[in-house]
Amino acid sequence: MSLDKNKTKRLLENFRLFFILLLLMAVLSLMSPSFLTLANLSNVLWSVCIIGIMTTGFLYTPITGGIDLSVGSMASLSAIIANALMNNAHIPMVPALFITLGFGILVGLVNGVVTTKFRVPPFIVTMAAKTYLFGIAMLVSNGDTITIMGPESFLKIGVVKVFGLPIPVYIMIMMVLMSHVLLKKTLFGRRSIAVGANEVSAKLSGVNPDNTRIVAYILSSGAATIAGIVMASLTQQAYAPNASGYEFDVITAVVIGGTSLLGGSGSVVGALIGAVMVGFINNGLNLMNMPASYHPLVTGAVILVALILNQGVSLPAIVRKQMGRPDPNA
Amino acid sequence: MSVELMQSAVEGTVASGRLLECRNITKSYNGPIVLDNVDFSMKRGEIHSLVGENGAGKSTLIKIVTGVTNRNSGDMIFEGKAIGIEHSKVASQELGIAVIYQELSLIHGMTVAQNLFLTKEPRMSALPFIDIRKMNSLAQELIERYGFRLRATDIIDDLSIGQRQTVEILKALNSKASLIIMDEPTSSLTSTESAQLFSIIRRLKDEGIGVLYISHRMEEVYDLSDRVTVLRDGHKVAVLEKEQIHPAEIIRLMIGRNLDERDTLHEMRRNDREVVLDVRNISAEDKFTDISFQLHAGEILGIGGLVGSGRTEVVRALYGIDPLNSGSVVYLGKPWKPHVSGSIRSGFGFVPEERRLQGIMGAISITGNIGITNLDVVRKYGFVSDKKELELARKAIGLLNIKPDDPVVPVGNLSGGNQQKVVVGKWLIRDLKLLIVDEPTVGIDIGAKEEMYQTFERLSAAGVSILLVSSDLPELIGISHRILVLRKGRIIKEFAEGKVTEEDVLRASSGLIEGDGK
Repeated sequence: MSLDKNKTKRLLENFRLFFILLLLMAVLSLMSPSFLTLANLSNVLWSVCIIGIMTTGFLYTPITGGIDLSVGSMASLSAIIANALMNNAHIPMVPALFITLGFGILVGLVNGVVTTKFRVPPFIVTMAAKTYLFGIAMLVSNGDTITIMGPESFLKIGVVKVFGLPIPVYIMIMMVLMSHVLLKKTLFGRRSIAVGANEVSAKLSGVNPDNTRIVAYILSSGAATIAGIVMASLTQQAYAPNASGYEFDVITAVVIGGTSLLGGSGSVVGALIGAVMVGFINNGLNLMNMPASYHPLVTGAVILVALILNQGVSLPAIVRKQMGRPDPNA
Repeated sequence: MSVELMQSAVEGTVASGRLLECRNITKSYNGPIVLDNVDFSMKRGEIHSLVGENGAGKSTLIKIVTGVTNRNSGDMIFEGKAIGIEHSKVASQELGIAVIYQELSLIHGMTVAQNLFLTKEPRMSALPFIDIRKMNSLAQELIERYGFRLRATDIIDDLSIGQRQTVEILKALNSKASLIIMDEPTSSLTSTESAQLFSIIRRLKDEGIGVLYISHRMEEVYDLSDRVTVLRDGHKVAVLEKEQIHPAEIIRLMIGRNLDERDTLHEMRRNDREVVLDVRNISAEDKFTDISFQLHAGEILGIGGLVGSGRTEVVRALYGIDPLNSGSVVYLGKPWKPHVSGSIRSGFGFVPEERRLQGIMGAISITGNIGITNLDVVRKYGFVSDKKELELARKAIGLLNIKPDDPVVPVGNLSGGNQQKVVVGKWLIRDLKLLIVDEPTVGIDIGAKEEMYQTFERLSAAGVSILLVSSDLPELIGISHRILVLRKGRIIKEFAEGKVTEEDVLRASSGLIEGDGK
């Protein structure tokens, strides 16, 4: 195969996801005339923010060959803690939010240390974290749905618009940029990919796999904490199951975006497109007045189709394989 | 039960039946011929050793007998039954051929009995439930018949490597195997465990089972075998009867006599330049003991010995992967505590023995693979300079003529030789002082091999010291300036000057030092 052909192929692979997104948008706009309106699109972006912010940190756990299932519980809990600090302990907003973030980082540190130093599989460690963080959230909130009454400046985060877009959108864009640079341009990014691609080889090249993984879990929990704070400001509510199940939306977004759950590869921008797609699908179903009981079924099916398309699998290739004839390109 | 077995053994001998008969077996893997008209036969109740250097065709012959791969031509008869070209693993198991592999195939977390009866579990009469009581008592019966020190209810994880091997053997016996193939079974056993294994092997022989034994350890071959078949370069060179078996003779046959082409290179030479690495009495528990040597600037020091002799362990410890228990190391005149990232910073390079598992990141580009060991070079504060990284990659590609020369291609897509060039190349662009290479040319083509040797010689001329671990004797002798031979974790022999032949090294590795033939 010539070099040019290789390059075109790579280019196509890079943009395949974008084409799938356009395809999804085309289908949705055909099915509902109100889909492709500025009001609706900014609405989707608004709802995509939470998932988008979460993916920017979460991404590093699959890249290093792990997983973090605790991000949903972490986000719910951080909203509750931030509210308790600001409205019960009456700590000013900025220090309160930093204390909350510090707590999130601590949780990530625990997840990372238990996985690497005690050799417990990350699936189990973070599943336990998901449960005990939910437990703490229930205790702190008494199991109630808290309406966040203030402070004024905190509630503004979710309400004020700059150039027609809500502030959380800017937070998300900033975090996506930071995460993208972190992954593509820094030593830590290289080390994460190396640890996920081949831990032994990375170790022989002087990378410390344990430290790299611990930082990955800290980033994951940290981003989830920020997402929880933003969510609290947007919804002006905090309750323990608020973000439960978000970990699955986050995993879906990241996987649609081309990150391998086996480690060694990942894309921040891809994950963002994935988050937008998850948002579009949910939004589209609402616009079409589809009864809520059908939503999970359709969402699941659409995601499955998107994933298959993104594998670059062509129908003829599958048929050939099943018929047992050799692939002429192989 | 045992009477029956005795009888069948007797019947076997009476029929003097050949157990396995292979005639004119030929096999090539797309091109080069690995086995050329090889004859091989085994009798019932015989311990038959198959010997030959790496690449002589031993594994291929075993794979053909066990149906892992198919021969191109030739006849195969097992217990009087002709076996077609389209042989398979399942078919060979059903016929009664069992293999005890180097990497054991037992299931961890299960008991001995569960492993022995896997997929053949006794059922409670007509019910789809396993009769655990019956399974355990059947397994215990089998264990006791052979007098093994095991319990049917032991969990595999709690057993030593030697005990696990006996479970493997029991598994073969339980499936009524009449031919048991053992591939380097003692490479990870202690000497007591090896002795136990040998008595088991003799027991199997008495039961009329044929044992095909593969080992590089000549004294084992000598002690055990009834007959020995020697392979060299895909040909059967000789079949030795019991009274003809002599370790020195086997080694001579394995190597052959046609090795003068690179003869001039076999001259060892001392090096008087400054000492780069001074290793003093280092030991690591269970791995190696009291290793001392000096490595000079520009010297290529070969480390020979059998697999399991401790050679890989020594170089891993010097690079800082595994800890040392005692002894000291002086590097460039200063006391040195081995530590991987410190080693890299101070001019070490390390090419590990298993390229795919330890050397490369297959899914990552050439640039990424080269960049990861050179992060200290390409960094600007915490950031990576893409430009500089790409420059390094292009430099390595140019230096070693890596194909394809496109730096973004994932290394997994490259040929074995080019993959290895990437693993070596990432060190060459550094300020290198000491390169450690472990089996650097396994599985790569001859062209790439030659280029690799030229690279080592270039490095040596430039003053870089090289520690070369290799099982490939022509390679070890051909490029080393000096050779240390390890045996059972100790340096048993040093070849520092004069001519060295493969035979010398092999004899030292097998513990048959000069004139000490058995």
